[in-house]
Amino acid sequence: MALQKYWVLLKLSWQNGFVYRTNVILWRFRQFLSTLMALTVWQVIFSQQGSAFNYSGAEMTTYIFLAAFLQSFILATALNGLANRIYSGQFSFDLLKPINLYAYLGTEDLADKLKNVGFLVVETIILWFIFRPELSVPGWEIGALFAFWLAGGILLNFLVTLLFGAMGFWSPDVWGPRFLFFIFVEFTAGKLFPLDILPELIQRIILWTPFPFFAFLQSQLFLEKLSSAEVWQYSGMLIFWIVLFALVVSAVWKRGIRNYDAAGQ
Amino acid sequence: MSEPVIKVKNLKKHFKVYHKEPGLWGSIKSLWHREYETVKAVDVISFEINAGEVIGFIGQNGAGKTTTLKVLSGLLYPTEGEVSVLGYNPWDRQAEFQKQFALVMGQKNQLWWDLPAMETFLLNKAIYEIPDAEFKKTLGKLVDLLDVSKILNVQVRKLSLGQRMKCELIAALLHNPKVLFLDEPTIGLDVVMQKILRDFIKEYNKEFGATIILTSHYMDDVKELCERAIIVETGKKIFDGKLQDIIDKYARNKILSLVFSKEVSEKELKPYGEVKEFSQDGSAYTATLLVPRKEATKQAGKLLNKLPVQDLNIEEPPIEAIIREVFSAKRS
Repeated sequence: MALQKYWVLLKLSWQNGFVYRTNVILWRFRQFLSTLMALTVWQVIFSQQGSAFNYSGAEMTTYIFLAAFLQSFILATALNGLANRIYSGQFSFDLLKPINLYAYLGTEDLADKLKNVGFLVVETIILWFIFRPELSVPGWEIGALFAFWLAGGILLNFLVTLLFGAMGFWSPDVWGPRFLFFIFVEFTAGKLFPLDILPELIQRIILWTPFPFFAFLQSQLFLEKLSSAEVWQYSGMLIFWIVLFALVVSAVWKRGIRNYDAAGQ
Repeated sequence: MSEPVIKVKNLKKHFKVYHKEPGLWGSIKSLWHREYETVKAVDVISFEINAGEVIGFIGQNGAGKTTTLKVLSGLLYPTEGEVSVLGYNPWDRQAEFQKQFALVMGQKNQLWWDLPAMETFLLNKAIYEIPDAEFKKTLGKLVDLLDVSKILNVQVRKLSLGQRMKCELIAALLHNPKVLFLDEPTIGLDVVMQKILRDFIKEYNKEFGATIILTSHYMDDVKELCERAIIVETGKKIFDGKLQDIIDKYARNKILSLVFSKEVSEKELKPYGEVKEFSQDGSAYTATLLVPRKEATKQAGKLLNKLPVQDLNIEEPPIEAIIREVFSAKRS
């Protein structure tokens, strides 16, 4: 019975998401075009030379293919409008319900991700036939760890989204910082290029931030490009970022809800 | 005498409000300098409400009615004071408490806008953990009372305001709340729909013994539903007692709206009451008279007999007028 409410919410969120079919299709088309462009640009670069930045053409195609897939899945969220929902007072009804708020928002987010999966599979098949990446399935240990890192990336993105959403408790000015975050992620999560082609210093700085967990590190793990020491190190860092963001989100939301003015009427 | 289910003691809720200078320059200036003012939305209010009571919480816009309801629902954290609803501190937002009350806001939707209302009902069934049999029974009863069986599977955004309000009420009442906060439930509705909702609220109170706090700008809502009224003004309580006492004491007059079929003069109307408005537009003569409450029916009869009255309407003064009377009496 306790889980039943989340299942019903999940189904309802799907139904709601499919009402605006054009929006969904255009959003997916944008994602598809973005990946298609990244892959095309790299193909053009590699058509002139056999290898670049210590990557062969085939390796780069495989990397971009995988990173784009991962980022599309990890960063898909239904909560981009959360701050506005809070600031406008529409959030009041969520607060009044006998339900765990984080689980409620998490379910909405998960529903959106699962909705995206269907499209993502079709897009991936199309891209596969165009670019023919060389993917080999890793062993079960790496596979299990990959699933853990993927779940970790999703959770991390959910927490970051909640943090941006919480800004709505104080201000409507949310799109600026959120947009800046999107731009930053485009470059630092590794969708457009693998981070290891960057200068050593920049690479090291980025690897100390949570951004590579939005695609780059999972791709490296899947392609078995990490040493076992690095695997342990990044597993620890992923847990560290999740715990840190969870604590910050919890504190900020506690304060935000206390500050909530339930605008309207 | 039953135990109070709602206790409010010295409640204060203050907000910090940003004041923007008008115009483009004001917007640019606000980028680096903003002035804030503290607004005392609720400023030391105390009252107690017993189980099963229907209370009219009335006041002008910005008086603090909605803010009080939001504090009682646990949406707003009080600046000061003590609040208890059904023995719970609303601010703790415990699930056991949330399952026993509902807040309906006339200008906000809890229904999912792009889906039929039935989908929200099913979600609420799951969230409030309502057993199947109970859900079917309550839903059936509410649907019958409000006559909405034909619109349950229509997208909410395609419904009229009245239909939507009916569905909002159903969504809020499916879990049979013991305490119901209704914030302007009839706002924007036509008179027929207002009456339907009033009858429904009355019926719900009778059948379930629910405690109800109702805010409304419509005197008819409050008059028909509430025995007791609490009047608030600029965050302070200025009256708490029987509604009839306020009406008898402060609404001294009734309003007679008249349309005449032939020419009449203002002088001819004076013996029947105070002429508030008198106008002639072509061959149409209309007038508004203020007549002492106790004489209203008698004077209306005389008017019908002696003057060429085409249409006559007897109304209560608007609630704002009565509140103004109460407020000015308290100040003087």
